[in-house]
Amino acid sequence: MNRNNFLIHFAIALVLITIAGVLGQIDRWRSGLRPATSETRDLARNNSGEAKQFRADAEPEVLVRFKSGVSRSEIERLARRFNDRIEDRIEYVRGLKSIDDLDNADPETVAAQYRAMADLVDYAHPNYKIEADLPDFRPVAERRDEAPVNSPNDPYFNDQWALFNSGENGGKSRADIDAQKAWEQTKGSEEVVVAVLDTGVDYTHPDLVANMWTRPDNVPQYTDAQLGAFNDRFGFNAQSNLADPMDDNGHGTHCAGVIGAEGDNDLGITGVNWNVQIMPLKFLGRGGFGTTKDAIEAINYAIDRKQNGVNVRIISASWGSTQYSKALEDAIRAAGENGILFIAAAGNSSTNNDSRPHYPSNYDLPNVISVAALDRNDSLSSFSNYGAKTVHVAAPGRDIVSTWLKESFREASGTSMATPHVSGIAALMIAADPEITVETLRKRLLAATDKIDSLNGKVVSGGRINAAKALAK
Amino acid sequence: MKFDEKSAVERSKKDLAERLGVPESEISVKRVASTEFPDMSLGAPEDGEMAAQMIATGWKIGLASKGKEYEYRADKYQLRLKDFKGRNHVIVY
Repeated sequence: MNRNNFLIHFAIALVLITIAGVLGQIDRWRSGLRPATSETRDLARNNSGEAKQFRADAEPEVLVRFKSGVSRSEIERLARRFNDRIEDRIEYVRGLKSIDDLDNADPETVAAQYRAMADLVDYAHPNYKIEADLPDFRPVAERRDEAPVNSPNDPYFNDQWALFNSGENGGKSRADIDAQKAWEQTKGSEEVVVAVLDTGVDYTHPDLVANMWTRPDNVPQYTDAQLGAFNDRFGFNAQSNLADPMDDNGHGTHCAGVIGAEGDNDLGITGVNWNVQIMPLKFLGRGGFGTTKDAIEAINYAIDRKQNGVNVRIISASWGSTQYSKALEDAIRAAGENGILFIAAAGNSSTNNDSRPHYPSNYDLPNVISVAALDRNDSLSSFSNYGAKTVHVAAPGRDIVSTWLKESFREASGTSMATPHVSGIAALMIAADPEITVETLRKRLLAATDKIDSLNGKVVSGGRINAAKALAK
Repeated sequence: MKFDEKSAVERSKKDLAERLGVPESEISVKRVASTEFPDMSLGAPEDGEMAAQMIATGWKIGLASKGKEYEYRADKYQLRLKDFKGRNHVIVY
């Protein structure tokens, strides 16, 4: 081939490739312009979070991974034989194809056809619908019909098994904190301030905003000896030494919702307290971890606010590690000396805190309560730490729905989720008895349990916390 | 940086190669498994680090070089090396 012929052939090839590319793009545009199916619309309506992937009519039916060494022409020949179209290949998984069945056969049947070709195919399965991370709640009206009399009108209340366990979803009826009976006594008070020492709190969340603490005008700005004055209007951020404690993780917002999402506001969930003031103290970063030093700074802030007239009574601490810090212990002791109860997660390592301490829950201080996690069957959650001498009480901590970032709600599990239930109950007790001391508060809390056989030898009180008992005269 | 399984493995290999002073081609991937971690330090806190006690999902990544195995842990937002010379390390956050 001479040079001129080569250039002509090359130019023709280039034009053909370009045409093929344009046609392919047009096909993709057309696909993108297809109207949403009812399924996709429902997903969009039900979940404000990310729906990562879902099967719809326009989607391929099956995912097939071909064995290494199976050529493209063999795959195409097989697809033609089954009257299928290779819709796409998954670039990062070698041999994986998504395949569209042109006969619209049942996806499982199509997958079985490919699985039968065991010499060519590693695996084949339907293109499963993958739900969004957020729980798919049922419609509000249906839920309210199921709710017991005098329930708050918050649409997700029936998913809050920790507050009222109807026995649905495989749970045990009345394995809950007996919140409704407690609410006959009090639903909380805006005079009580609970500090959430965590990743911050989304203080603009519509289900939290009414119960967020803001610094009153008669309380001076916080002044740090080294860093100067902060405009601590919404709380404190020790992590970046900025005043803004906005949550960038979600964990703190979740904990805050358990303690005090606004109740009976026709939105989302209800907190253990319908009314309360949540003070965000941010020391955990976006990843959900932080330093002892920042925790100490934040505790110091809470004490300072208390001394300046803010009624901070509880610090809720859904975090920890196995590392002992005398300085952190001292900071928590100082909080106690200033009338602040410190409620801490027992940890999620399924280990015995009596022999393998977890801090800060293990600090042997008169203002510390350590909390284990229960599931909806009143069983100790498989992940929960325990300790006959060092873990004081258990509370619901698995599949807990609460507030999250971007005005959303989601379920989460951990002793992190158990802790704010106890903090919330403590806040109710203070609302009912504003002058109660830390010593009495702690003593009554630990006595206010429903004994559970399986917790014998696992937690000091041997029981699940009960809000109604905590408020009983 | 936001990780998926593939990018977490790639970043792990790069980190281990740099730590050991060997080419990435000498690092092999022994296993990658989706898993739940006990807390937001992915069960691998650095010294002095406190972590939110919420169950977190991510990947355990087992790498090997010269017959020795190493464990990385990742979720969408972070990558950690567990128990390397007796200590845990945050690689990317």
